[in-house]
Amino acid sequence: MEFAFTAEEEAFRDEVRRFVDAHPGEHFPLDGMDAGYGSGAHSRPFMAALGARGWIAMTWPRAFGGAERPMFFKLVLFEELARAGAPFGPLAGCWQTADAIIEYGSERLRREVLPAVARGEATFWQGYSEPGAGSDLLSLTTEAKRDGDTWIIRGHKIWSSHAGIATHGLVFTRTSREARRSRGFSMFVVPNGTPGMQIRPIRSLTGEVYHYEVFLDDVRVPADLMLGPEGEGFQALLNGLDSDRFWGRYYKAPALERVLRQLVQYANDTTVNGAPLARDPVVRRRLAGVATEIAALKTLFYRAACLLRDGAPVTYETAVAKVMADELGQKLARIGMDLLGPWGPLREGSRRAPLGGRISHDYLTSLGHTIAGGTAEVLRTTIAVRGLGLPADRRA
Amino acid sequence: MDFTLSPSQQLLVATARDVLRRHCPPETAQRLALDAHGFDKTLWQRMAELGWPGLLVPGDLGGSDGTLLDVILLVEEMGRAALPGPFVTSAVVATTLLLDGGGERGRRLLPALASGERIATLALVDDGGSYDPRTVGLRCGPDGRVTGTKLFVKDAHVATDLIVVLAEGELLLLPADRAGIAQLPLDTLSGDKLFEVTFDGVATRAEDRLGSGGEALAAALTAGALARTAEMVGAAQRVFDLSVEHARTRVQGGRPIGGYQAIQHACADLVRDVDTSRGLLYTAAWKASEGRPADGDVATAKAYASEACLSVARRGHQIFGAMGYCEEHPLHLLHKRVQAASVDYGDAGAHLETVARAIGLR
Repeated sequence: MEFAFTAEEEAFRDEVRRFVDAHPGEHFPLDGMDAGYGSGAHSRPFMAALGARGWIAMTWPRAFGGAERPMFFKLVLFEELARAGAPFGPLAGCWQTADAIIEYGSERLRREVLPAVARGEATFWQGYSEPGAGSDLLSLTTEAKRDGDTWIIRGHKIWSSHAGIATHGLVFTRTSREARRSRGFSMFVVPNGTPGMQIRPIRSLTGEVYHYEVFLDDVRVPADLMLGPEGEGFQALLNGLDSDRFWGRYYKAPALERVLRQLVQYANDTTVNGAPLARDPVVRRRLAGVATEIAALKTLFYRAACLLRDGAPVTYETAVAKVMADELGQKLARIGMDLLGPWGPLREGSRRAPLGGRISHDYLTSLGHTIAGGTAEVLRTTIAVRGLGLPADRRA
Repeated sequence: MDFTLSPSQQLLVATARDVLRRHCPPETAQRLALDAHGFDKTLWQRMAELGWPGLLVPGDLGGSDGTLLDVILLVEEMGRAALPGPFVTSAVVATTLLLDGGGERGRRLLPALASGERIATLALVDDGGSYDPRTVGLRCGPDGRVTGTKLFVKDAHVATDLIVVLAEGELLLLPADRAGIAQLPLDTLSGDKLFEVTFDGVATRAEDRLGSGGEALAAALTAGALARTAEMVGAAQRVFDLSVEHARTRVQGGRPIGGYQAIQHACADLVRDVDTSRGLLYTAAWKASEGRPADGDVATAKAYASEACLSVARRGHQIFGAMGYCEEHPLHLLHKRVQAASVDYGDAGAHLETVARAIGLR
């Protein structure tokens, strides 16, 4: 057993800390909203700065322009960026897409898309959900039909994060009808701006735009922009789910620690009825309690990280970590709002908004986290059935 | 970062699980819990033959040079079996204390503790009920006599030696049969053998005084908090195993109850609570074993596991339905063990205060 990072990993941590000190997040223009997951806002210039350091591609094989650094360097990078509140929103999606392209992408994707990812230029939106296909993804109706060397995609995607500002969509389509409901799906990497693609913003409850819906009206895509084996897209999606859940939430714990530090500071600095808020036993109990939960959450991610690193079987571990991360984020935001009292609901940018209005924003965005990427209910069922071997509901 | 046990730790755990399955089945744990003086001498001797009480003791004093982390893994197995007895108080807490804070006198006792011939227990808590040694008011009078009371002294009925914590962390090591010492049993839910120990003008001699406990006392209380957390984790793991097995096999409405989402989602929360409690336990025990600063980690683990493992036990009762309400079913033993461990060596509230300071609250 060992519950510490190696000397090399710690040296890299110092390097990242020096970088974020020299490049504070607020110096970078933002292109898209911070959805509160812990990865900050979408900033293409910040992604370009990470790309310039070689950090986006650092774990890739040398043949693809990487430095073959061990996976744990990515954990360190995420932790330090989240700790600093840096705007690295698209990074996890870029890593996941790049890994898929390295594993089974066409020559064209490797030649054209991968280097743009490494530079921090290419970012991706996921075209999975549809108006009639949310938790039940297999009921999607977007279809791609083969026409010589191209595929023609027709359908309607929704809840695609950052679709209007990303460079490519990962569009999940039905490419054939098979006896097995889960077969006959394929994924395409579709450049934004391809004729027939119309992207419409959806304003969220924070008043900002995070999601988009995308209409695909006979969008023609070259065959070599298909990502992964034809017809086996759903299996590929399932195989990548553990990794997606892990990398999509890993930065949540360090981001929650950052919020907790801000709340502790606020409690120390704020006087209520002549006494410091920090001396209120209820406040102490609640903040200390949530601190133990954040520490607990980190052990789930560290354990899952070890399993993924070692290629050990993962059945429920990333799902448990995701559900806990998202529910804990909601809890911390709730505690934060309670602590701030009448100042809590003041928006970001408002006069007198404490902590920059950050808590009220987290309070709202955290509502979406137990829905996006698999609802807490679907995931608990997954944990029970796939992880614990309880019987699947045959009606599903 | 590495969560895997070393080969020797795997062997220790596998041996413990096997031995306790054979020699401490639920019927044994139940019998010992119900008997006011329940102590299984044969089982204790068997454990001693395996070298368990000497795990923390150096080789030259008859032990096997194990680490705190090793002993925590062993105690986790004891929690799984709901094993009653003085292991934690004698082989973990008193042993840790005597290793560094017992002087020559304490070291002389260690070989007999390691072999299981003698059993030591800690008399710490004053009437106020706090496990914080700074709250202790009991003192030796000017005549060297002690008069007063200690509460929640574990296994005082089988202990041969008492380590008594006095004000300012001063320690006494007394034979349990010294004139004027009486053990009055406290009747507990768990069957943990707890006593009020009274001191009625008990004479002390120079060699009884171990001096100031200082860091050794702090280390012993840390070891106690970790060991009790390990018991909670082991017991919660067992509740989880039993509950999931029950959910798979109990048929109602024509299907296993584990096919219903209400039960599935409850089980999903159990695995979260057990895994997180264990993760925090191992992290804290590893840091303490490595001599790294661990106070915040230990407090975090104990406070969190107290909530989470108790929640596992309570959810377990809901999953088992009426069956789990019976005395002959082991669920209540595990539940009561978690409950008892959660308040020993500092309850969640006390440890949360340590966490509150660790995160910087003024």
